[in-house]
Amino acid sequence: MKVLTCGGSKSGKSAFAEELAVRLAAGKALYYVATMIPRDEEDERRIEKHRAARAGKGFRTLEVGRGAENVLQLIEPGSTVLVDSVTSLLLNELYPDAHSGKADENGKTRCLNGLMQIAGRAENAVFVSDFIFSDAARYGEFTESFRRALAYLNNSLAGECDTVAELCAGNVIYHKGGTTL
Amino acid sequence: MELIIGGAYQGKTGYAIKKYSLRETDIFTCAEAPEIDFSARCVDNAERFALWCARNGADAAAFFEAHGEEWENSVIICEDISSGVVPLGADMRAWREQNGKLCAFLSARAQTVTRMFCGLPQRLK
Repeated sequence: MKVLTCGGSKSGKSAFAEELAVRLAAGKALYYVATMIPRDEEDERRIEKHRAARAGKGFRTLEVGRGAENVLQLIEPGSTVLVDSVTSLLLNELYPDAHSGKADENGKTRCLNGLMQIAGRAENAVFVSDFIFSDAARYGEFTESFRRALAYLNNSLAGECDTVAELCAGNVIYHKGGTTL
Repeated sequence: MELIIGGAYQGKTGYAIKKYSLRETDIFTCAEAPEIDFSARCVDNAERFALWCARNGADAAAFFEAHGEEWENSVIICEDISSGVVPLGADMRAWREQNGKLCAFLSARAQTVTRMFCGLPQRLK
């Protein structure tokens, strides 16, 4: 099963995705693709929080800031992979140099390809992404191009996945497929 | 009238084109301006019209109500801008208000309301 979970900040998407991944794995190999490249102490704390939350659940963590396809050979067929999150992977791929802020035009396609390859190799894949598309603001091109790129990834993944779950305050709204888990 | 709402880049226009077999010439794309060509089968980006209203003290829903007969068979598309932080700019706050009231008004009048999420339609009405 391939699943996209998407929602606002603190909507419960990571917790839902972790629980779902554990159940889908049913004791078989289970990988957690951690995508954040920490840039400050706040990031470190966030990573620590996520680590603690999934401790003891049987995940093997693969740290992949960019180039998701590089972990392919580490993932044996038949396994379950959780990618948290599409958003931070895209951020890393789109802006390889955090200081210059110069966008890599091929970042979003490379990101999608890497994720699709993971989905193709694993038995089950669960992707966590963010919904940042419903606010009253006119952004500059820098932010807007990121929003466009993330929407491109979300919409493409939603098309490919069997199940698309929107998380809202810990509640699940299925837009496609579903699971009885 | 069929109403399609959803966040930015969620596939609203593409869905409308497919669902209602629209040609490009069937779509009127709103600008931040007080004119809407209701003779078009589909009115897209109604949120831009709402932004004009917000910045010019006009009432978007009242405008649509006054032209009610002209769009009763239309497809209307409007971006949902309701879920961010309360904006610092007064015009952006007025925009949220205008847009929210417009969406609620149109939803009440619509035969169907569809919300797009990650390119997928969700039937709300």
